[in-house]
Amino acid sequence: MSRIVRNCVVVLVALLWFVPTYLLLVNGVTSVSGYSGSPNWYPNSFGLFANIEAAWKTANLGPAMANSLYYSAVSSACAVLLASLAAFAAAIMPVRRRALWFWLIYGGTLLPLQVFLRPLFLAYANTGLYDTQAGMVVIYVAIAIPFAFFVLRNFAVTLPPEVIEAARLDGASWWRLFRSVYVPLSKSAMVAAFVFQFVAVWNDLLFGITLATSRNIRPIMAALADLQGNYSNVGPPVVLAGALVVSLPTVIIFFLSQRFFVSSLKLNV
Amino acid sequence: MSGGFLLPAVILVAVVLIAPFCYTLYRSLFSDYTHSTFNDFANYGAFFTDPNLLRSLENTLMWVGGAIVLPTGMGLLIAMLTNATRWSRAARLAVTIPYAISGSAVAVVWNFMLTSDGAVNGALKGLGLGGLAGNWLLDWPGNTIVMIIASSWQATGVAVILFMVGLQGVPPETLEAAALDGAGPWARFRHVVFPQLRPVSIIVIGMSLVNGLKAFDLIFVLTQGGPGRATETLAVSMYQETFLFLRPGAGAAIAVLLTIIVLLASWTYLRRQLPTQGKV
Repeated sequence: MSRIVRNCVVVLVALLWFVPTYLLLVNGVTSVSGYSGSPNWYPNSFGLFANIEAAWKTANLGPAMANSLYYSAVSSACAVLLASLAAFAAAIMPVRRRALWFWLIYGGTLLPLQVFLRPLFLAYANTGLYDTQAGMVVIYVAIAIPFAFFVLRNFAVTLPPEVIEAARLDGASWWRLFRSVYVPLSKSAMVAAFVFQFVAVWNDLLFGITLATSRNIRPIMAALADLQGNYSNVGPPVVLAGALVVSLPTVIIFFLSQRFFVSSLKLNV
Repeated sequence: MSGGFLLPAVILVAVVLIAPFCYTLYRSLFSDYTHSTFNDFANYGAFFTDPNLLRSLENTLMWVGGAIVLPTGMGLLIAMLTNATRWSRAARLAVTIPYAISGSAVAVVWNFMLTSDGAVNGALKGLGLGGLAGNWLLDWPGNTIVMIIASSWQATGVAVILFMVGLQGVPPETLEAAALDGAGPWARFRHVVFPQLRPVSIIVIGMSLVNGLKAFDLIFVLTQGGPGRATETLAVSMYQETFLFLRPGAGAAIAVLLTIIVLLASWTYLRRQLPTQGKV
């Protein structure tokens, strides 16, 4: 008896939860002419590609996606590189005031992003970085470093000290130790940090609307917000198709790496 | 010697993050007139007098409460209900997929659900409950509440995943022993499972707390803080004051207050929880 009740609750909750996802799929696929003004509950036409094309044109979704791919890949890679150098120093090399360096770098993640916005906006405007790809990469690298550093440092302190000592005794320089011992050993943590930051940069809206404005510079979420602003002009199917396309990369990453998400989230607090 | 390794990261963080933070602190003490002068914390005084900021504070509190209670409660419930049976993996997927969608895309989906001729009203009319249909995004506090629900629709996925990890760490022997001693399902949950989920719960609640305090993307795309300024949270108000109303001093003060709240909340919460925390 209680098993039946439980199963019913599970099915009901899952169905309710699935409704928005289902409607996103159905109505994003519906052609604009097949959309009668109220939401479709089952597919009655196929216009996915026409919708995507319209979204591409209205909000320049294509260039924005290319930009975001570039920002996410390049800045996450740079951030992981810089963070792993710093983590190596903070965890393995003999450093004075270890705690100070840790908090100096890690402290950045504790602050809400709002405290950076206007000073960065002014500084970017004065240095010509405003509305440039280089400017976007700089902020995304900086904002990604603290957490990547945190993950990599936590991993580095678990490396067996004997390995390091042995290599030091053999006369290896710190730089050589970093390249030949530390990087190969922390590869998995570096990949995890990279994927995590990739998703974070891909999902960013705040810096995208503050530090960029042109359609060929702004990242994808800024373009999606713009498309949403045209909701009544272009029609719901186009906007929803846009949301679908924009979500593809993160959904793929999510399915490829559920396990990774779990382990990285456990490090997050 | 270690400088070469540390400096690139330290310099970038110092220039791009810490320096702007210090400037925001400084700027929050000055007025927004053409000749900006030190104004005796008047930007902060506005939190007691400006009805828009009071509303924003109120909304932020609602967000924090809702963002903690809903994803944590629903996440625990769904993880418990779907843990035992194999087929319920599909049910769990329905709940976790939204987590892979970005906040801005969630806003697009829920705008479609909640506009006056949207899916929710359509469904209510279809079920003969047309009387319940309403302007979900227009009236306060309903609009803030539905956005908290939309946010929870997304955030519950992580909570479920984390609670599942926690549940898999519960040794079956402890449950069998309790069952042998005559404990019913509820007693087993209350006294055997729940205490062992404590470390995971601390993480889920901590994450939800910070998410609630920093809520921005969903609100900004869905309502822009409107109608009027009714659905702004502190994070949104800061953006609007600074870039829309061009009052950078007021915006800076909001950013600083938000920082203080975030730091205080995380610190108090972690200080109370961490000493007893085991390994996850």
